[in-house]
Amino acid sequence: SIEHVWWFYIVMEGFWSCVTLVGLLLLGAGCNGVKSGKKTLVLLENLSMKETHSMFFGDMKSRGYQLVFKMADDPNLAISKHGEFLYDNLIVFAPSVEEFGGTVDVSAITDFIDHGGNVLVAASSEVGDVLRDLGIEVGLELDERETFVIDHLNYDVKDRGEHTLLAVDPANLIEAELIVGEKPSAPALYRGLGMIADPDDPLVLEIMIGSTTSYSYFPKERISEYPHTVGKSTLLIAGLQARNNARVVFSGSIDFFSNKFFASSVLKAVPGAKEFDVCSNQQLASALLDWVFKEKGVIHAEEVFHHRIGEEDPPHAYTIMDDIHYAIKIQEMVGGKWVPFTAEDVQLEFFRIDPFVCIYLNKSEDGLYYADFKLPDVYGVFQFKVDYNRIGYTHLFSTTQVSVRPFEHTQYERFISSAYPYYVSSFSMIFGVQIFSLVFLHFRDNTKTKTD
Amino acid sequence: MASSLKLSSFLARLGIYRVSSEKQETLLKLMVLSTAAILSFSTRLFAVLRFESVIHEFDPYFNYRTTRFLTEEGFYNFHNWFDDRAWYPLGRIIGGTIYPGLMVTSAMFYHVLHFLNITIDIRNVCVFLAPLFSSLTVIVTYHLTKELKDTGAGLVAAAMISIVPGYISRSVAGSYDNEGIAIFCMLLTYYLWIKAVKTGSLFWSTFCALAYFYMVSSWGGYVFLINLIPMHVLALMLTGRFSHRIYVAYSTVYTIGTILSMQISFVGFQPVQSSEHMAAFGVFGLCQIHAFLDYLRSKLSTKQFETLFKLLAIVVGVAALIAGGVLTFMGKISPWTGRFYSLLDPSYAKNNIPIIASVSEHQPTAWSSFYFDLQLLVFLFPVGLYFCFSKLNDQNIFIILYGVTSIYFAGVMVRLMLVLAPVMCVLSGIAVSSVLSLYVRNLEYLDTTKAKKAKKMDPSYPVKGEIAGFVVLMMTFFLVTYTFHCTWVTSEAYSSPSIVLAASQHDGSRIIFDDFREAYYWLRQNTPEDAKVMSWWDYGYQITAMANRTILVDNNTWNNTHISRVGQAMSSPEDKAYEIMRELDVSYVLVIFGGLTGYASDDINKFLWMVRIGGSTEKGSHIKEADYFTPQGEFRVDREGSPVLLNCLMYKLCYYRFGQVYTEQGKPGGYDRVRNTEIGNKDFELNVLEEAYTTEHWIVRIYKVKDLENRGV
Repeated sequence: SIEHVWWFYIVMEGFWSCVTLVGLLLLGAGCNGVKSGKKTLVLLENLSMKETHSMFFGDMKSRGYQLVFKMADDPNLAISKHGEFLYDNLIVFAPSVEEFGGTVDVSAITDFIDHGGNVLVAASSEVGDVLRDLGIEVGLELDERETFVIDHLNYDVKDRGEHTLLAVDPANLIEAELIVGEKPSAPALYRGLGMIADPDDPLVLEIMIGSTTSYSYFPKERISEYPHTVGKSTLLIAGLQARNNARVVFSGSIDFFSNKFFASSVLKAVPGAKEFDVCSNQQLASALLDWVFKEKGVIHAEEVFHHRIGEEDPPHAYTIMDDIHYAIKIQEMVGGKWVPFTAEDVQLEFFRIDPFVCIYLNKSEDGLYYADFKLPDVYGVFQFKVDYNRIGYTHLFSTTQVSVRPFEHTQYERFISSAYPYYVSSFSMIFGVQIFSLVFLHFRDNTKTKTD
Repeated sequence: MASSLKLSSFLARLGIYRVSSEKQETLLKLMVLSTAAILSFSTRLFAVLRFESVIHEFDPYFNYRTTRFLTEEGFYNFHNWFDDRAWYPLGRIIGGTIYPGLMVTSAMFYHVLHFLNITIDIRNVCVFLAPLFSSLTVIVTYHLTKELKDTGAGLVAAAMISIVPGYISRSVAGSYDNEGIAIFCMLLTYYLWIKAVKTGSLFWSTFCALAYFYMVSSWGGYVFLINLIPMHVLALMLTGRFSHRIYVAYSTVYTIGTILSMQISFVGFQPVQSSEHMAAFGVFGLCQIHAFLDYLRSKLSTKQFETLFKLLAIVVGVAALIAGGVLTFMGKISPWTGRFYSLLDPSYAKNNIPIIASVSEHQPTAWSSFYFDLQLLVFLFPVGLYFCFSKLNDQNIFIILYGVTSIYFAGVMVRLMLVLAPVMCVLSGIAVSSVLSLYVRNLEYLDTTKAKKAKKMDPSYPVKGEIAGFVVLMMTFFLVTYTFHCTWVTSEAYSSPSIVLAASQHDGSRIIFDDFREAYYWLRQNTPEDAKVMSWWDYGYQITAMANRTILVDNNTWNNTHISRVGQAMSSPEDKAYEIMRELDVSYVLVIFGGLTGYASDDINKFLWMVRIGGSTEKGSHIKEADYFTPQGEFRVDREGSPVLLNCLMYKLCYYRFGQVYTEQGKPGGYDRVRNTEIGNKDFELNVLEEAYTTEHWIVRIYKVKDLENRGV
């Protein structure tokens, strides 16, 4: 009968949903092997790079990254499928590629960045157009093909006479431990092209810059025109933290990450320079990796609390000159876990077009930053604004909109002390009129009786 | 009276009513008055019948929103209401910045009806409140005119005010504005004042003060009233008509009225501080001095009195001058405010305060609109004045003063036509009634049997009967044309809700543009709860009331700098505007565009005001009106137009994608049907904004402000 058929359907449906559930669980378990944020696509120019840069990739693997190596011009290349991104990070070690394969192009990569993906790019003097275009998208202008950064005063002794193998002093690194790690003592080796930052882009970070004597030009030609970059404006390694906190690092040198450089000693070709057995490249690359793939410097605001002192919940609207308590819970990602963030310089602004209150927040042990303060004597729609923007950290921006209303008619003081003379005068007036009318009426009665 | 008597005897002859002529007269009075009251209600319903029961225009939407708040939240919450939806991020204290009379009245009606289990919607109370009060106005006008002249004049005046367009313009169904009830309050106060002056009783004076309180609670125009009554008293003093009656009446009205008016928090201490109220205070003082002198005079000899008078006059005069000067200097007495200056000098506002001048109803009145709004009354007004002068008494002096001052003010500002209309009706009622009662009496001469007798009695001029007949006929004809004119004006000009637009197509059928509500509901449904919408201030009230979204500026133009900031954003190029919009947290921009439909009061036509207001503050001093004109001084949006105009934000938002639209046959793409020209800048893209919604007829266009670029550039 029909009823039986229905039963059958229901049973079958239950069965299939069980199967799907189990499948999903298995899938989830399978994925558990790779931690989130670690799936990385590596685009290579040729497969031999796997060998020439094996120290770098080995370092990554040992840290739990799941690396997927592809040729940059692989015709089946894709970083997204059905609107979902397949990877968390992207490494482009393909300096000379003119065009990516498959569905990958500059706009696909920028889209990847705009959806939170992190990108590490290394170029070289054989740079192809596609990387130059990508550079433009992240606020960097790469110099032409065949050019090198040249520095006649800061080159390594192993240089072959063109002064393109630079020994970059640690002083040329950005002052941010989160990005470049602990300042190394040895110089870094660098061979590649120079970049300049777009002056309109406020987000570009100058991670490693050339020294004052550096410039970027064709090493074999006479200088006939002004070089593309000169002195400290020459960027060797540049970074960008987008507004959605996606991170991009652009290096002008692919050799910077190579086994050869990692293992090389360094001696600056100037009299009296100290020789180091190992240059700082590996140390720097490792620190950069931490930063660009968000192992470090990731903070977020977990919760915001605010209420009047002595109360528990935020009111519908505050009243001017209320004493209030504000707290924000800030956490930092350390080793894949959120732990309380520690800093001394977190500020709170109470903001309405301009800040009306601007104070440092106090810190308690559990990552709670708090302050008690008095609201200004101004009504309007305000924002609690914590805008913690420090180089290396993700941009922490938290606003909470609250209304601040003026006093209600019952909240004003009932008697004003300076008005006591007026109270006295009005009551004495009332009293006087009473007396007067009494006397007046009484007097009238008497005369009437007399005249009568 | 003669005419009504005649009519009633006619009724009696018909045999409908065989009762005494006194009762017949009462019945007739009642009939005329109730007909006028019903007529005044029903003639205001055009808009409801043609469209639907909606609130009209701009300000009424605010009043509607506040009334709804009052009925839902109660009076104390209303009184303390701080509105964070308007004037972002400044907010507005609504309880302390409005006249609550209108809302309280509606809320009372609402609660009474609900108490009686009549579950009427608050919107309908609001829609029909103005017509209801116009019916009440009819009755008050009757009583006022009756006090001034007689019952006949009262009835004529009542009939006239029931349909006078000058008053209908602000009181059609749906036009839920302060003026709708304020005219009733004003006439009620006048009536009770006349009553108080006539009787000199505390009773009527107190009632007058109460009516004045109601008036103060409902409209800022009460300032006119509190200056007119003292002026009346002063005129009575100068003409030697000052008496104990006047003394009692004015002293009571002033003291009680002032104390009561100070209870309205928006008015506050103004009655004792601002210069607009000083005349009333001064006259109050004069009254005391006058009464005191009268008392002294009755006790002293003439010579003693004269010496004393001179001494007193000098001392008091000097003291008053010093006190006034000191208080003004200390800022206790507020200096003359802009709105008041513009009353005295019509060009003041235009030259000095663009925000006042930009409102169309603050413009000086055109001559034609006097005829349009008052028709016959314009000509009957002097006749009425004549009759008042011919029998001058205390109350006639009042109506003469009222007539003369209000006709001046109506000439200065279009919206004050509203104050003029009632006095026009009162004086015309007096005129018509006087003329008719004069000539109807002479109609007897037409009756040949009586004529012979009459000729012997009164041979002052020949064909007396015929002239009387002619005058009566003419008057009837004029009154009939008045009725037709009024109905036509009401139907054609004053019954459009302006939130829903109607136009006729080529084949004569009507097409409805409901774009405003479409856009507002889109905002309500599709934008985040706390989205901030930037638009020109005209649409502020509507957006908060219908879309329930936060707005930057609205029709309560209390903060010039904030409006100016919005004006600067609208008249700047995109990148500059973006800075301002980020500063003010704008998430959506709304513009009104009529180029596709030919809707003329759109933002491009208002744009010069935005430029002027935008450039009127320090931050906007780089915005020069001249930059938006062609070198020949023309405001053009076509190829010849100024490049500054063709690249400013307002232009781009209005004409975005318009270049690809063909609006009229035989014309190129991007042909603007309001300006009747092909627009000059067609191919442009928006960088910092994206189109979010455009309504069916493109009247409302909404844009979303983009976030900062993710990668910095």
